[in-house]
Amino acid sequence: MKTRHLFQFLVLLINLSAKVFAISLESISADVVLKNVDRSIDISSQIAKISHKITLENVGKKEVSSFLFAIDKLFEEKVAFLGGQPGSNLKVYRVKNQEHPDKQFWRIDLKEPLQQGKTTLVEIELVLSNALTAYPTKITQKEKQLVRFSGNHYLYSPYQVSKQTTTVNIGTRNVESYSKLSPVSQSDSVFNYGPYTQISPFSEDRMSIHYENNSPFLSVTSLVRTIEVSHWGNIAIEETIDLLHTGAQLKGPFSRYEYQREVQSGVSSVKAFKTILPAAASNVYYRDEIGNISTSHMRIMSDSVELDLRPRFPLFGGWKAHYILGYNVPSYEYLYNSGDYYKLKMRIVDHVFDDMIIDEAVTKIILPEGSDKITLTTPYPIERLPDSFHYTYLDTKGKPVVSIKLKNLVEHHIQDFEINYVFPRLLMFQEPILVATALYLLFLLVVVYVRLDFSITKDEQKENRMKISVLCDKVLEYHDKRAVTYTAFESCLAKLKQTKDVNSFMAATKIVNQDYKNECNHINELALKMKSDAPEMADKVMDLQKMDKCLREVYTYQQSLYVDRMVPGKISRGQFTDAENNLNKRKEDSIDKINAIIRSLH
Amino acid sequence: MALLKSKGFRMSPEKQETLLKLSILSLAAILSFATRLFSVLRFESVIHEFDPYFNYRTTKFLAEEGFYSFHNWFDDRAWYPLGRIIGGTIYPGLMVTSAVLYHLMWMLNITIDIRNVCVFLAPFFSSLTTIITYLLTKELKNSGAGLVAAAMISIVPGYISRSVAGSYDNEAIAIFCMLLTYYMWIKAVKTGSILWATFTALAYFYMVSSWGGYVFLINLIPLHVLTLMATGRFSHRIYVAYSTVYCVGTVLSMQISFVGFQPVQSSEHMLALGVFGLCQLHSGVDYIRSKISGDDFDVLFKAVVVATIGVSAVVGGVLTLTGKIAPWTGRFYTLLDPSYAKNHIPIIASVSEHQPTSWASFYFDLQILVFLFPAGLYFCFSKLSDANIFLILYGVTSIYFAGVMVRLMLVLAPVMCILSGIAVSAMLDTYMKQVDSTKNVDKKTRKMENNFVMKSEIATCFVGLMSFLLISYTFHCTWVTSEAYSSPSIVLSAKTHDGSQIIFDDFREAYYWLRMNTPEDARVMSWWDYGYQITAMANRTILVDNNTWNNTHISRVGQAMASSEEKAYEIMRELDVDYVLVIFGGVVGYSSDDINKFLWMVRIGGSTEHGRHIKESDYYSATGEFRVDKEGSPTLLNCLMYKMCYYRFGQVYSEGGKPPGYDRVRSAEIGNKDFELDVLEEAYTTEHWLVRIYKVKPLRNRGI
Repeated sequence: MKTRHLFQFLVLLINLSAKVFAISLESISADVVLKNVDRSIDISSQIAKISHKITLENVGKKEVSSFLFAIDKLFEEKVAFLGGQPGSNLKVYRVKNQEHPDKQFWRIDLKEPLQQGKTTLVEIELVLSNALTAYPTKITQKEKQLVRFSGNHYLYSPYQVSKQTTTVNIGTRNVESYSKLSPVSQSDSVFNYGPYTQISPFSEDRMSIHYENNSPFLSVTSLVRTIEVSHWGNIAIEETIDLLHTGAQLKGPFSRYEYQREVQSGVSSVKAFKTILPAAASNVYYRDEIGNISTSHMRIMSDSVELDLRPRFPLFGGWKAHYILGYNVPSYEYLYNSGDYYKLKMRIVDHVFDDMIIDEAVTKIILPEGSDKITLTTPYPIERLPDSFHYTYLDTKGKPVVSIKLKNLVEHHIQDFEINYVFPRLLMFQEPILVATALYLLFLLVVVYVRLDFSITKDEQKENRMKISVLCDKVLEYHDKRAVTYTAFESCLAKLKQTKDVNSFMAATKIVNQDYKNECNHINELALKMKSDAPEMADKVMDLQKMDKCLREVYTYQQSLYVDRMVPGKISRGQFTDAENNLNKRKEDSIDKINAIIRSLH
Repeated sequence: MALLKSKGFRMSPEKQETLLKLSILSLAAILSFATRLFSVLRFESVIHEFDPYFNYRTTKFLAEEGFYSFHNWFDDRAWYPLGRIIGGTIYPGLMVTSAVLYHLMWMLNITIDIRNVCVFLAPFFSSLTTIITYLLTKELKNSGAGLVAAAMISIVPGYISRSVAGSYDNEAIAIFCMLLTYYMWIKAVKTGSILWATFTALAYFYMVSSWGGYVFLINLIPLHVLTLMATGRFSHRIYVAYSTVYCVGTVLSMQISFVGFQPVQSSEHMLALGVFGLCQLHSGVDYIRSKISGDDFDVLFKAVVVATIGVSAVVGGVLTLTGKIAPWTGRFYTLLDPSYAKNHIPIIASVSEHQPTSWASFYFDLQILVFLFPAGLYFCFSKLSDANIFLILYGVTSIYFAGVMVRLMLVLAPVMCILSGIAVSAMLDTYMKQVDSTKNVDKKTRKMENNFVMKSEIATCFVGLMSFLLISYTFHCTWVTSEAYSSPSIVLSAKTHDGSQIIFDDFREAYYWLRMNTPEDARVMSWWDYGYQITAMANRTILVDNNTWNNTHISRVGQAMASSEEKAYEIMRELDVDYVLVIFGGVVGYSSDDINKFLWMVRIGGSTEHGRHIKESDYYSATGEFRVDKEGSPTLLNCLMYKMCYYRFGQVYSEGGKPPGYDRVRSAEIGNKDFELDVLEEAYTTEHWLVRIYKVKPLRNRGI
């Protein structure tokens, strides 16, 4: 116990120190000038995507390998993602600056150091969540949703900017108002600000755009994603999702009549959304605490599975919903191994809907029972929660669970994590053996219970009956064997009839006769044993023996007919057939009688 | 030539019989589980109806919080502002059973959801019932009859109606408990051993803990003893069995807090007490008779009889007058006089399952059992024994009760199966032997049997007829189960013109909307039918629910629904109502909606002092009809319920070729179309308008 506590403490310490040291100090280099900045701000959906095209110039004497990117005060809490274009592999780090301790900085590493006097182009993408606020904050069902975006006309930069332009795409023509810092022009749904020249560092000028935005304002307030890996070929994924409509809240009544009749009624509400699952997803379920949500459609595309999810009710501003979405994917697509070493590569979070915002997510990875030496690598920093164990069907010591916690996520965070672990292959057999053992023990118990007598008193009658039935079974068994000797004898006779070779016949029947005698003796012994307990049964067995003797006599006759008369040719053909038919008839009679007795013995 | 060999795999007849019995019985048990899964396969694993939702909610609480907090649970989600002490007002057997199963499975790391335990509990217990029916019938007759009875009960619709998967109600396990108790009792009567009698008491305790219907049981067993006394079959065996059962059983049953002291106070239990006393007297008399001479005994006997009757009459009278013996409750009057409820207690009469049973539903629920029942009785009478007398009594009393109340069909179904099983088995026993004439004839009773002509042919005919009846029974049962008893009623489904299925999931839509988008402590007013569902699925506080213990409170809600808006507002303010929920089927044609229940609201609303002004006659049109169109009475057309159901419905085209505002349930164009609500606002209406939720507006600002 103690060592465990100590271990946890150490882990905590390491985590803490990691956090402290992650933010290192950087100073603003005077050598860098931003020659040209092109910003384009896309606020047509619920998130604000700002892409920067920055042309850097090194005006100093030394090489520059990195530069700083400052975050506007307004956006400090709202930064969901900062990085390069997808696939550009730009390295960014959160840093601090001594001169401006109150501001948020990111250090951006250049691909190759910038030589003196040279310029280079860097593309940076910044995604802000919750940057748009509904204004008015409450609307009725008929009204459209208006939102306001506040920003900065200039790039908030620690460096001198020579020239900059900004385009803002709002996705609509319906604008209530917008700030004007000339030169500014509007065409269709796009505003063009600038060019502005020679802007000093950290310049601010409030930009404000008030416009109509009816795109879904949905955010996932909490997401719990559980990935359960099975080495039997399946990975089960379950996501528990809390949704909230973060747009303007619904004021006054909700009228179903208008909602069904009028197209313009409740335009900002969310009726349905699309979730994209991996192409191999199967057994999809969509439910909540009170059962299956019967309003959903699934479409299987070539490279994905599209789920058209409809919450039980349309979501208006301020309305919440909660659901569980689960599916299975085959493990061969995500699980790699070499010997006992396994690697799982899956998405930390997956697509929920387009332009999604996830406030808080917990991803739990449940590995097979007995997995060991687990290491996790993630593409961006995460908070790792303490490991735990999960118990389910046929588990004994529990499956290890790795949990991570993330905050403020957008689509850019849909990236793969990697988890490495060791799983001894023999452990695969643990569960089948467990089941087999359990069943074996159960059957054993039943066998013991049935076979052994647990009663205090003795039931003599029952015991007797059982004894006799055992003896009867034995008699029948010997009788079967005896029947085999008859068939053997028969075939010997048939052979003799053809080959007329008496010597070989005699040799063959010798063994058969010996067997026959043995079986007869066995049955006689049993009959003797029976006599004391079940005289009736014993009589029957004696009858059986008698009949058997008759049959045997018939066979003896047949043998003498063959050996003494047919082979030497002392008998005519007609006589022989008559005699044989006669014998066969007698044979059948006795066989019938024997069969009758056997049936009664059952 | 015939081979001499005997068969390779041999089995003694005993073993063969055991194998046959085991396989038939296990097949019947599996069948009884499987046939109840229609709704799960068609819809999903979901709890059905109304009461099961309450049971589900309490089970969940029990499984999560443990027994003590369950026992002391004061539920503030129901009966606002009164609340309800759950632990003391329910039969906990059902919840405890599923919680125990649940924990047992979790202990073995079988991580099954509590909802699934609840959904599949009823089918599971039906399987057990099948087995116990076999055992009981075997005790009463023989194992052949037992197998037939078991096969019959596994699919009898009368029992399936209350034990399909998802129908998580007390009755689901109560029938098993009842038959278990009977089985133990028959064993006790046959052996006269204290062991079996104690088992009977334990089984009885389980029964008491799970269903209010235990009263039937505690009257039937004494009735059996009484009949045995009357027929001169009373013996030491009966004495030992009944004394033990009564003493232990009564003490145990008093441990259930909902039952409390009723076993010694209420008149429903007095037969048991009386018979217990009579048992002592009877054996006392027997003892004395063996000791003293005839004449002395007569004097003593008369004196004791007179004294006993006198004393018990006086004591009973005094106790009744002082109120120590509780007066008979309404439901029991209903049992004895079917018209009682209708005249006196509207809340009992308003429940459809408390209505008298129609002849058709006997046939619907029991099919051929109805005809085999008398035959079974005949076979019981022909070989009268202590056990058979019990069966006869059980059959006769339960057929009476089933006739009084539809719900009690459930009690009748098992005995129908047992008696029919006996009948079928006995008849087939007789005739099957005759089918193959060649075999048996040439040996023993040749002379006697040769008197019949065409013996084999008649026997074959009879067996064929019997098989046909039994096969038609299975088809009927399956059809009834699939068509009538397997819809969850929480999800409705209908066929469109092109044959595809549409699902109306409006109830859950509305409940989930309440759960997600209203304040945690919001109070919802609705008619009591939906109370349990709202607390379970929406997790919100409600005013009245299906546990109709407080008539005045329900009446108050009825008054609010039946009053005009202003008056209703006063009542709603008084009751702190935030939301009002109504069920309206006018758009899709769902006939059991609130308008169709409305007359009961009026009746119940008018049945108390506060609601004297609400008169049923005001809600009828001039011609004395209940109509919602222009002819309807103005009181109806302006009451709260009407307005809530039909708000803005006047503009809706619900059916082609009909004017707007056409109500598809009542087939009428509504009479009051254009109105606004003053004190309420529409908060939510589901997709098919089945459920409508209104928000009660706060008081107006002054001066407006």
